[in-house]
Amino acid sequence: MSVLDTLPLLVVVLLLVAGSGADPDAVLVAFDGDQTPDELAGPDASGPLVVAGGQFTVPANASVDGALYVVGGTATVEGTVDGDVTVLAGNLTVADPGVVAGELQSIGGQTDVAAGATVARRTSVDVTPRERTLAERVGVLAMQALALAALAFLLARRYPTALATVGDAATDHALVSGVVGALAGTTLLVGLVAMAFTIVLIPVSVLGVFAEFLVVAYAIVAVGARLGRVFPIERNDVAAATGTAALVVALDLLDAVPVVGALVALAVVCVGLGAVLVTYFGLQRFEPVQLPG
Amino acid sequence: MRAFALARRRDVPGLLGYALFVALMTAGYYYNITFVQLGLIDLGTRVVGLPRTTVSLWMGVLALCTFVAAVAFGVAMDRRGWSTSLRTKLRILLGVVAVQFVLTVAAPFVETAPAFGAWIVAGSIALGVGFPTSFALAIDTIPVPDRGYVAALITAVTYGLANAIPLEWSIDVFATVMTVAMLPGILVLGAVASGRVSAIETVLDDLATNHHDYGRGRFNHPDPVSTRSLAFLAPLVLMFGVFFVDSLGFLRIIETPTLLLTSWQSPRLETRLAIAVAHVLGALAAGVLYTNFSKNGVFLWIFALFALSHVLYTTDLRIASVFPAAASDPALANPLLYAIAVSFYTTLNFALWPDLATTATIGTHSAIGIGMAGWLATFTSTAVALYLAHADVTLLTHLNLVNALALLLLFGLAVGLYAKRMHDIATRHDDPTDRDQQEYDDGAADPTADRATTEGDR
Repeated sequence: MSVLDTLPLLVVVLLLVAGSGADPDAVLVAFDGDQTPDELAGPDASGPLVVAGGQFTVPANASVDGALYVVGGTATVEGTVDGDVTVLAGNLTVADPGVVAGELQSIGGQTDVAAGATVARRTSVDVTPRERTLAERVGVLAMQALALAALAFLLARRYPTALATVGDAATDHALVSGVVGALAGTTLLVGLVAMAFTIVLIPVSVLGVFAEFLVVAYAIVAVGARLGRVFPIERNDVAAATGTAALVVALDLLDAVPVVGALVALAVVCVGLGAVLVTYFGLQRFEPVQLPG
Repeated sequence: MRAFALARRRDVPGLLGYALFVALMTAGYYYNITFVQLGLIDLGTRVVGLPRTTVSLWMGVLALCTFVAAVAFGVAMDRRGWSTSLRTKLRILLGVVAVQFVLTVAAPFVETAPAFGAWIVAGSIALGVGFPTSFALAIDTIPVPDRGYVAALITAVTYGLANAIPLEWSIDVFATVMTVAMLPGILVLGAVASGRVSAIETVLDDLATNHHDYGRGRFNHPDPVSTRSLAFLAPLVLMFGVFFVDSLGFLRIIETPTLLLTSWQSPRLETRLAIAVAHVLGALAAGVLYTNFSKNGVFLWIFALFALSHVLYTTDLRIASVFPAAASDPALANPLLYAIAVSFYTTLNFALWPDLATTATIGTHSAIGIGMAGWLATFTSTAVALYLAHADVTLLTHLNLVNALALLLLFGLAVGLYAKRMHDIATRHDDPTDRDQQEYDDGAADPTADRATTEGDR
């Protein structure tokens, strides 16, 4: 597991440690190799331990004073953990006669508790998405389509020119819009993730992701409104709403086509995002530079 | 693209012109980024046995000689009218490739410091004559509107091949491969330049008059860009900065074994292919942006991408310094972003200099542009990178320095563009009599209003 792969989970661990009132500076991380608590933290250390990779073993005659977090690799408890144990990813085995005096919380990864092991309290959070029934899928899709259609209806009534400008850029300059959208979307996402790694900028990063999500929603509405213009509907606002709902349904249906479907949906979103950006959210028509010759 | 129109009209000479330019530029650039930039370091340090600092000094000599030879020859090309004579340029290129072939065959047998120095001087003269000549072929073969896309194609092919099929970075391997590749190239170029093959002569007759239509580059309207104008000097300084930043970072990255695992020398095919794809996509994106936006926008993207990729590299290194075990498996995201940035500036480099020139200045502007921004910047940064490595500057400090430069250029350019816009607005307010001209400059007279403003750095 690379640093960048592990880092998001380490950030979560640091937030959990800070939330529990412990000192995040005291956290010790095992990344690889075979390690024991003494080797990782020394005999006197009591800070939270994090297993991010390799093999970490609490031997039968040893104990861990504080909390133990598993975000990668394999951890085996044959001795005693006095604090809580949280498994976010990786593998945890509480062997016989291992003891977890605090709470054993399984959020992700694999947790095995031997019959002879002692765990004071055990909870698990199932983060695996449940397979939706057809009715649920249709319901969720209808909700999404209705919400974005309502947004399209409102925007088409209040800002019809802006919406049309973005839509025109998406169709008349699809390649340019697609390139700008893909580039801006990727670099923004990478930049926002990099911000999150600093921990201090996590709120900015979250806000940025939310803002990017809003821009994508606006892009879908604008492309949908453009699609609505080809329908035989006289009223602009109704056409925009209908087009947006149709686009949302079409994007969802594309999911059923392996690989190509996802690529087409991604291309549509990139074109829309780029069209929003090159037209300054529809404030100015996009015209490429005039090349001589 | 004009190429599609040519294809529809079945204009074979026009299409062969594209093929000739792309083939020559791709081969030349591949030779430069492999044999010259990497092979000579191996030749100097391993085969000749010179210390790294001495080799860095010789690389500086190579850059300086190439620059001087290029400028001297570029100016001579323009003054003597060779720039507009297609056949003369092809004959010169044949001579250059023949000399480079001999030098390439001889390179692995260079064993002493004086021979190494002599090789460097001879090689730099061949390079200095070769690149303004090959860039000047753009005015015979590539219509102005297609230069961004053609530049993207050259970049995509060169870096795609270099990453997908990597070679061992040793002078022997480079020399063998280049020798095998150059032989058929010399034969074809010989046939083209000989003037004795009637079918080829027909094609050349057709291409030879193109400079009347293609000769005036994109940025030479309404007035030609002069060599001493800000319109030429500003992109020159920016391109110097781009090449310097890239080489300063790249040369240290390839010296670091863990980072090499995710570079184009990675032993994993999937890693190399991923980088190759990133290079190709980056080049194509740059081609689209160059064709549809002002060049300043592309510059801003380049510096932003370099700054971001170095932020990621340094973040990785900082984390690895806290958790040393994590350094064994660096993330692939960094080299992918880096590859996109490199493809961006390479594409810009291939399109920019012909577009900043006319038939009267193509030799001079290409020579100064590539010589100063490309060669001088690359080998100056090579020398600095080798010096820093020799002075035991840590990898983190080194990349921090590169990152600082990229950020400085990014914000410097952004502030400069904003200040220029302010100056334009202030000037317009001060001189109401000149309002019509200002409105024309800002594009108010046509629908390309905003774009014309950003374009207007003449």
